[in-house]
Formats: sequence, C-alpha cells, structure tokens
Amino acid sequence: MTSANFDALKAGDTIDGPAFAVSRESIRLFCDASLDYNPLHLDDDYMKGDFGKTNFGGIIMHGMNNFGLISRMLTDWALPAGAIHRRLETRWLKPVKPGDTIRPAGTIKAKQTTAKSRWVLVDVAVQNQRGETVAAGEAMLEFPASAKAS
Amino acid sequence: MAQAESSAATPFETDFWKDAKLRKMWDDIVPGEPRKTLPYKLTQEAIALYCRAVGETNPLYLDEAAAKAGPYGGLIAPPAIHILLMFACTPADDWMRSPGTVNAGQSWSYNIPARPGDTITLQARALDKFIKRERLFVVHDNVFFNQHGDVICSGRGQTIRPM
Repeated sequence: MTSANFDALKAGDTIDGPAFAVSRESIRLFCDASLDYNPLHLDDDYMKGDFGKTNFGGIIMHGMNNFGLISRMLTDWALPAGAIHRRLETRWLKPVKPGDTIRPAGTIKAKQTTAKSRWVLVDVAVQNQRGETVAAGEAMLEFPASAKAS
Repeated sequence: MAQAESSAATPFETDFWKDAKLRKMWDDIVPGEPRKTLPYKLTQEAIALYCRAVGETNPLYLDEAAAKAGPYGGLIAPPAIHILLMFACTPADDWMRSPGTVNAGQSWSYNIPARPGDTITLQARALDKFIKRERLFVVHDNVFFNQHGDVICSGRGQTIRPM
C-alpha cells in the first residue's frame, strides 16, 4: 500500500481497503444506522418480484454501504497524513447480497496543484469475492500545503 | 420556522409502506421545487451506530479524549454520515422513502465535518427528471448545513423511481 505522501505519490499507486462480510445482520444494522428501511434491504417476499427487467431474487445490500466503505478506506489512509477526503462519486454496477464479501480499493490517477492547495484524484472500486466489480467511482483528496510529509 | 425537530419524541417510522400513498410519484415530482425537510440533532450515539455498521474505528469519531487532542479539537462524524442525514432530515412522506426506490449513483463534496450535538438542516430538491431505457430517473440536489449556517457537505444523486 502506498503511503499518503503527496510528493512521492504517482499514478498507479494503490490504496487497500478493508474486507467487509455482508450478511442479513450487516444489512439490517445498516438500515438502523442509515434509517433507510427500503424493503429492497428487508423484505424477501417483496424482492421475489420483478423490477422492470431485473429480478434480484432476494434482499440486496444498500448501495450506500459501498459508499461508506470506500469513504472509510480513504479517510483511514488520508487522515494520519493530514490530508482531507473532499469528494466521492460512485455508481453501482452489480447488486451485493448476503454471503458476499466485498473489498474497496483505490488507484492513484492524477495529482494537481492549484493556487491554494494540492489535490490527488483516486479511481475507486469495490469488488466481491468473485472478483466482480460491484461499485466504481472517483475520489478527490486534498493535501493542504501544511500537511505532514509522511 | 414552525418546524418540529425530528427527535425521540416522534419515533422514526421504519415501515416505508405505511405512508407510501402520501408520497409523490415520478409524475408529480417538479424539478426545482424545494423538498420539505426537518432539522435533526446529530448525537454521538447515532455516529457510533453508523461507525459500527461500516466498521469505522477512527478515534476521531469514537474516542472523545483522543479526538480532543486531534486536528479537529473534538469528536467529528465520518464524512459519509450524510447517508444517515438524508433520511433523518426528511419527513415520512418524502419520495426518497418510496419502496422500490433504487439508488443509481451519488457524488458528494465535503466542506467541514459534522459534529455530535450539531443541529443539521437540509436544503434539497429534485433538479431534473428523465426517462432512460424505460426507467424513470430523478436527479437529487442536496446541501447539509450546521446550526451556524456552514455547509457540511453537498451532494448530487440519481434514483430510479418505482413504477
């Protein structure tokens, strides 16, 4: 894993995120933590039905659980170096279901210095245990000029 | 403003079917029209529960003494706490709670952290709506503020509306 040092960072460097085991309990806990009790995440009978051309076959994890895991990876990497998580954009590519294990990861894409600060762009993705990408996006981190060097 | 703060006095309705008929369908949503929102007092308990759900362990969110000695001079919430705030700051008849609403993507920008004890307000609206591959989309536009009027974060999202 690459350390969060602006000067040393280069395109292609990677950030490792935590593995996350998805279960009915983890999804239920996310309902309670987010107050998102959409039956997509709770009600197997409802999920037997079709959504347009899609049938999920059972409850699915909140898309925003991916978002929260990516954000956790970025802050755990950036905060110790005095860098700040400024932006995260994600889209969901595949549903995540109980029994899946997902893991976010990041790849440094570019660095940019502006009039008042320094920025790092990171491609982010979440993969499941089959190596399928379930969520993807891009993040922006700020490395204030005063941020620690390592 | 004659707005009731969402709090323990009115328990959060976890049955999203209950008020389903009160909520706007895609056809009724007017882009640009402000959504009704509720101020919400963010507690340390709510932050800790969110942290548990995604496995956050950073002491800045959870350990008061360590957070006090850290860069923010006290406890803060993780940036993605807006996941909770989105539902905490909207009423039971808000269309984001329509069963079958599918999140199609989000982008959020972070200014300053939310902190436990903050009274958070939301300015929100649908910014656009469109049809793509026979599916009904709405573009969401959201900004969260603290009690000082400072922007905490702002976000854009897309949901696919139930038919």
